[in-house]
Amino acid sequence: MTQRHIFLFFISILFTITVNSQVKEQDTIKNKEKYGLRIGVDLSRPINSFFETENKGLEIVTDFRVLRNYYAAVELGFLDKTTNEDYLNFTTKGSYIKAGFNYNAYENWIGMSNEIYIGLRYGFSLFNQTLNSYTPNVYGTYFIPEALEPNSEFKDLNAHWVEFVFGMKVETFNNLYLGVSVSFNNLISTTDPDNFKNLQVPGFNRVFLNNKGVGFNYTLSYLIPIIKKDK
Amino acid sequence: MKKYITVIIVSLLTFLSCEKDDICIETTTPSLVIRFYNNDIQTDVKNVLLDSVWALDKNGIEQYKSVSIDSIVIPLNLNENSTTYIIENNSSKDTIKFIYDRKDVFVSRSCGYKTIFENLQIDNNSINWIKNININNTIIENDTAAHISIFH
Repeated sequence: MTQRHIFLFFISILFTITVNSQVKEQDTIKNKEKYGLRIGVDLSRPINSFFETENKGLEIVTDFRVLRNYYAAVELGFLDKTTNEDYLNFTTKGSYIKAGFNYNAYENWIGMSNEIYIGLRYGFSLFNQTLNSYTPNVYGTYFIPEALEPNSEFKDLNAHWVEFVFGMKVETFNNLYLGVSVSFNNLISTTDPDNFKNLQVPGFNRVFLNNKGVGFNYTLSYLIPIIKKDK
Repeated sequence: MKKYITVIIVSLLTFLSCEKDDICIETTTPSLVIRFYNNDIQTDVKNVLLDSVWALDKNGIEQYKSVSIDSIVIPLNLNENSTTYIIENNSSKDTIKFIYDRKDVFVSRSCGYKTIFENLQIDNNSINWIKNININNTIIENDTAAHISIFH
């Protein structure tokens, strides 16, 4: 009788321990966070190409989670765009790379991995500009200027800039992310062509007065999980 | 709620990116500035009684019809390397042919290019009321000062 009681006592203790340990184990699984390489494309570029035939571009976006809230990020892309202004028509053709990091400021619930982030990028682009045509600008209509087509190509131009990025990424399906971001660009230096100006730079987009720029990204990316770490 | 915010932000950004941000405010292609002086006292400005001013095969310039004036600002033909003007002063006509080289200079995105004129010369001119012509500046980059002085 006593033996039986002792036996039951031990079984119950063991049972609670195993139950407890099982609960703990489930907890730790939930707290694991995925670290890996995320690769995606900017969806807005092909859509733009579809609507504007003279605007071809592609951007590949990648990031890698280095620390819990920090992601190293790289974007690669190219642009072939013809811009038509009131008195000018020119084509910009080239490729670019942007490298930097994002800081995720969003505190996720357990099991979620969304992001609201701020980031910094350094951008570099190599490109050509072609001045297709222009009409000299003159006040009045006494002499109407004729449009000229110099088709002059300015080769081997480059530009450096910095970007402040603000954006968000949402995990829609497992490992599949949708992202939106806006960047504020500031041109550091650029080689301007002779008697012309870099009004459009691949990656930087339109160069506004006082060398400012703005960019938008709508990305779809896939996370390749490499390791899982505890929170 | 989150969805709505995203939609609002996205649509805002779309509209912002389409807005035209700059208009041309810089000075563009300059005109030729001519000042009229007294031939007897060559430092004195002297008005002319303009009947009309016109370029060959063109209509008269609207603002210079039947006015008494001491200077005129007239455009040069930026499609050719010469412009011939006829200036009618008090029913007397004189023809001046200007020749020049053209150079297109980039101004800005919204203004595009302007044409400046170099090596300004007077190819020939008649002398009915005009006594003498002096070129003050062979480069026409702006129209703030007179490029040509006409003595009459």
